This record gives sequence, structure tokens and C-alpha cells, in this order.
Amino acid sequence: MINFIQLLTIGLSVGCIYGLIALGFVLIYKSSQIFNFAQGEMVMISAFLAWSILVQLGAPLWLGAILVFIIVGTAGYGLERFPLRKMIGQPILATIMVTMGIAVFLRGLSILLWANNIGIKFPPIVTEKTITIFGIPFSNILVGSLLIVLLLVVLLSLFFNYSRTGLYMRAAAENHQLAQSMGIRVTRAIAQSWAIAAIVSAVGGFLLGYLRGIDSGLSQIGLVAMAAALVGGLESFKGAVLGGVIIGVAETFTGFYIGHGLKEVIPFILMVFVLIYKPYGLFGLKRIERV
Amino acid sequence: MRRSSGVFDTSYLQDMMVFRTKHHRIGLVGLTAAFLMLPLFCGQFWLTFISTAAVTVIALQGLNILSGYCGQISIGHTAFMAVGAYTTAILAGRFSVPFWLCLPVSGLSAGMVGILFGLPSLRVKGYYLALTTIAAQFIIIYLIKNPFPEITGGAIALNVPEVTLGGFVFESEAHFYYLILVLTLLMTFGSKSIMRSHVGRGFIAIRDNDIAAEAMGINPYRYKLKAFFIGCFYAGVSGSVWAAYARVISPDDFTLTNSIWQMGMLIVGGLGSTLGPFFGAIFINLLNEICVVSGPLITSWIPQMGAQLSAAMVEMTFGITIVLFLVYEPRGIAHRWEILKESYRLWPFSY
Repeated sequence: MINFIQLLTIGLSVGCIYGLIALGFVLIYKSSQIFNFAQGEMVMISAFLAWSILVQLGAPLWLGAILVFIIVGTAGYGLERFPLRKMIGQPILATIMVTMGIAVFLRGLSILLWANNIGIKFPPIVTEKTITIFGIPFSNILVGSLLIVLLLVVLLSLFFNYSRTGLYMRAAAENHQLAQSMGIRVTRAIAQSWAIAAIVSAVGGFLLGYLRGIDSGLSQIGLVAMAAALVGGLESFKGAVLGGVIIGVAETFTGFYIGHGLKEVIPFILMVFVLIYKPYGLFGLKRIERV
Repeated sequence: MRRSSGVFDTSYLQDMMVFRTKHHRIGLVGLTAAFLMLPLFCGQFWLTFISTAAVTVIALQGLNILSGYCGQISIGHTAFMAVGAYTTAILAGRFSVPFWLCLPVSGLSAGMVGILFGLPSLRVKGYYLALTTIAAQFIIIYLIKNPFPEITGGAIALNVPEVTLGGFVFESEAHFYYLILVLTLLMTFGSKSIMRSHVGRGFIAIRDNDIAAEAMGINPYRYKLKAFFIGCFYAGVSGSVWAAYARVISPDDFTLTNSIWQMGMLIVGGLGSTLGPFFGAIFINLLNEICVVSGPLITSWIPQMGAQLSAAMVEMTFGITIVLFLVYEPRGIAHRWEILKESYRLWPFSY
């Protein structure tokens, strides 16, 4: 039983990080109707970048975090200018392949810059110890990352519900033309959402890199998070987090009870079933088309 | 098809011809002869290059039908290649089925699997469908790797026996060159014919607007599944030839990255044109070779770049190429080729 609950907490915390990265997908999809296939690579690159700044340059943690957020956020902001602004009104295949192209480019960049750094890890920030809550032992790192993710989710939903910029972004997501005519700069809203998504994925990259080491495998996480976003429905923040949790828990359980091979594909199997039985995810907007 | 002034059709037969004018026919005969004589003049490297590109062209023709004509985005195409390749490897390796039988059976099995993964296309489209095909990629490769390693060889490579056709053993690079060339021509002819038939027109109607197509009496479900079947049939044939050519296959030959590369090739070449796959496969493969060759050269000048430079360059140039093509020439090289032909026809006038 303890085993079961421990697995559940591991699944929950991993799932929350998936949910965090999935939030990035939803953020971009909601504001620009672009599905960002480069999210996983953004996670990977920002983890590598954070490692370089923290370990190779030896910056303190707070400075490193700010630097990474600034660099990644600026890059995300810049991506809107080129090539994504040109993709407004283009067919879906074009937008898919543009983000795929960015993904491949980022992967190449990571090979160029960090190929020789194998098996790298972030320096330990807190000493790992086990906390016992209700008689069940937890690792304090897992609990900490869980708390960070929950805090971020709350902050993001406050941002989108109450801040002016967040409201602008939501308006731009709803209808580009209408938002423009209300005096909202749609391109800037899209760029801001890319910047926020990049920062969110940087946080995800840092947490994941801390939990499991930094390597090119981190980009695979992006695909899993993509499945999470789809299970939850592409238009919903809470759906993204919930989808991430579902996928994380399912992954941990299959990994423990069935085998490692199935663990890697279970997110996709889940995704296909959700798509067949509930095509627009758990909380997605159902689009009804009539002749 | 636009023609120069003074060329008229006087019968329906003429109207339906693929190679309509004298220039077309001279070009066809000349190009075929040139390709048939190629092994006499060029070395191993270029034969391998052309064979590899041509195998990709077969798969790309299928992807072109599925994504370019029917608009069903598939980013798991190499997984269906893997189905074909493993069917051939298992049939030929364990049951010593002759290659001429393996080839269509591989195509059919890949097509069946394609229909299975095309089923969600009945309910979802766009991004959701693209993600289902990514799921197909992972699930198929998982099924090859894990549950039955004694049959599929698991994650380790699987050997394929050498190909014989009626007692003739394919062993040298040139033999395979001819085999692949003939197959590529046949499959290209097939895709061109499909796209000229009512099925192909139905595909195009569905791509342009599936609701309108349904209103005009095209059953979108049936046609989408047909597109999945045909597209994956091509992938299966391509995989089968690849297995016979490479003689050893492993799940790592058929990853998501390869699928993305195929889609990229198709975009660079031009979606929805028969020539597109040729241009795309040749262009991207050439670019690849240039990166692989120039990487060590640059490293020898600037040693700081490190030995991984060519691997990084391959990926980065590919990424940039796709983005640039999508932004500046979304219709691909095939469209540029059409413009070139047009201006040649009208020269020295501009219109």
C-alpha cells in the first residue's frame, strides 16, 4: 500500500511537470492557433543553458535563473517575429512543419554546443532527504517540485484572469480580428505568449533536469507533454495540468508494474484512445461544423 | 497543363495523355536512357546516393498522396516503412518467401496498419490527426521492439537474406540501382495514375474542403481510409525495398526524426505534385552530403568547433531549410520548376 501511494506521489510530481510543459502548448495554441512541436526542444535547450550558466560560469542560482528567463523569454519573443508571424493564415501543415523545423534546428544547436557534456547534472541545491507525511516517506525534492509547479499554475491562472496583459492575450486568442479592432496589438500578444511559454518550459526544463539529469532525452518529454495537452484538451489550462497528471501517474504505474518499454508509449496509447472516444480532449472546445 | 500556342487536342485520347508533346517524349526517352546508362559512368558513391534517394522517393510518393493530395497530415510515415521492412525481413528470413511476393505483401500489411491508424481521422483532423500519427510512430516501433523479440529481433538489428528474382541474385550496387529505379518509376506512374482517377479527384476535394466534398457525394471516411491505405502501401513497398537493399534493419532506422525528415523533404520538393518527391529527396540528401563532407573540413580549420560539427550542421541546415521554404516558397521546388518551364516556353517574352 505504501508502495502504491509512493508511486502515486512520484506520478503526481512528474505529471505536474508534464502539466507545466503542456501549459506552454496550451498557452501558444490559445493565442495563435499554432501547435508548438518545438516545446520539448525548448525545454532541453533551456536546461542546457541553465547548466552552462550555473556550472560553467558559476553564477549563483537566483542570478542564473533570471539570466535564463531573460534569454529564453527574448528568444521566444523573437520567434514570433520570424518565422511565426508569416504563418498566420497558413495551412496547418505549414505551421506544424515550421515548429518542427525550429525543433530540429534547436536539436542541432544542442549537439553543436553541448554534445560533449554527457551525464551532466545541476549542482544540488537542497540535500535530498525523506520527509514523512502521514507515515509515508517522500523525497523532499519531489515534494518541492510539486509545490513549485502548483505555485506556477496558480500564478499563471491569476495572470490570465486578472492582469491586463493576460486578458489581452486571452482576447487575442479568442478572435484575432475582433481583438485588433478593440485596440489590442495581436502580434504583441502572440509574442508575449511565446515568451511566457518559453519561460514556463525553462522552469520545466530546470525541474526535470534536476530530477533526472540533463541530456537530449529531455526533448522526448516535450512529446509526452504534448500527449498530456491533447488528453486534457488543447484549449484548457486546467485540462493541460490534469492531462499531465493523468499521463504522469499512468506512466509511473506502467513503468513499475508492467515494464519500461510500455512506459514510453503509454502516453501515446492513452492519447489515441482519448482521441477516438472523446476527440477534443477532456476539456477541449468542441468544434461543430455544418454545411 | 499549359501548353505552348498551337498545340491542340483533337481526340479524348490525346487529352488524357501524360506525355503529350514531342518534347515530353524525347525527354522521357532521353532521361530513361541516361539513368539506365548511369552505372557505366559513375562510381559507387553516386549509385548509393541515387538508390537511397529513390527508395525515399517511393515513400514520399505515398506521403504525397496522403498529405499532399488528401490533406491528412501524417508525421509517422517511417513507422509504416518499418512495417513493410519487417514484413519483408520476417517473410524472407524465416519462411524464405521470394522477394517478388514479399514486396506486395509488405505493401499490403503496411496499408492495413495504415488503415488502423487512419481510423481516428474519421473523427479528428488537423493537429489532432497529426498527433495521432506521431502516436502511431511510437506505438508501431514499440510493438517491433518489445512484445515479440524472438520474431522481430527486438531492439537489435534483423538480417535480411539476399534478394533473388528467378535465379538472379542481386548483389552489387548496380543491380540494386536498376531494381530500385524500375520500382520507383512504376510506383511514380502508379501515383500519377491514381491522382488522375476519380479516387484522386476525391482526395483533392477532401483536402480542399471536406464538408463541401461530402455535400458533393464523396464519402469522406471511405476516401480518407483509402488515402491512408494507399499512402501506407507506398511506405510499405519502400520499406520492403529498403530492407532488401540495406540487408540489415533495426528499429532505429525508423524513428520520428526520420518521419519529420520525410515530411520536410516533401515540403521542400512541393506538396501535391508528382515531381515534388524527386526534388525534395534529391535536394535534402544533397544538402545532407554537403554538410557531412564540409563538417570535418571546417573542423580542421577551426578545431574549436569539435568533432560533432557535421552532425549538428546536418540538423541545423535541415531546420533552417524547412523554415525558409515554408516562409518564402511554401509550394516547394516543384512550383519553381513550373515557373521556369513557363518562362522557357514564353521566352523571350515575359508573358
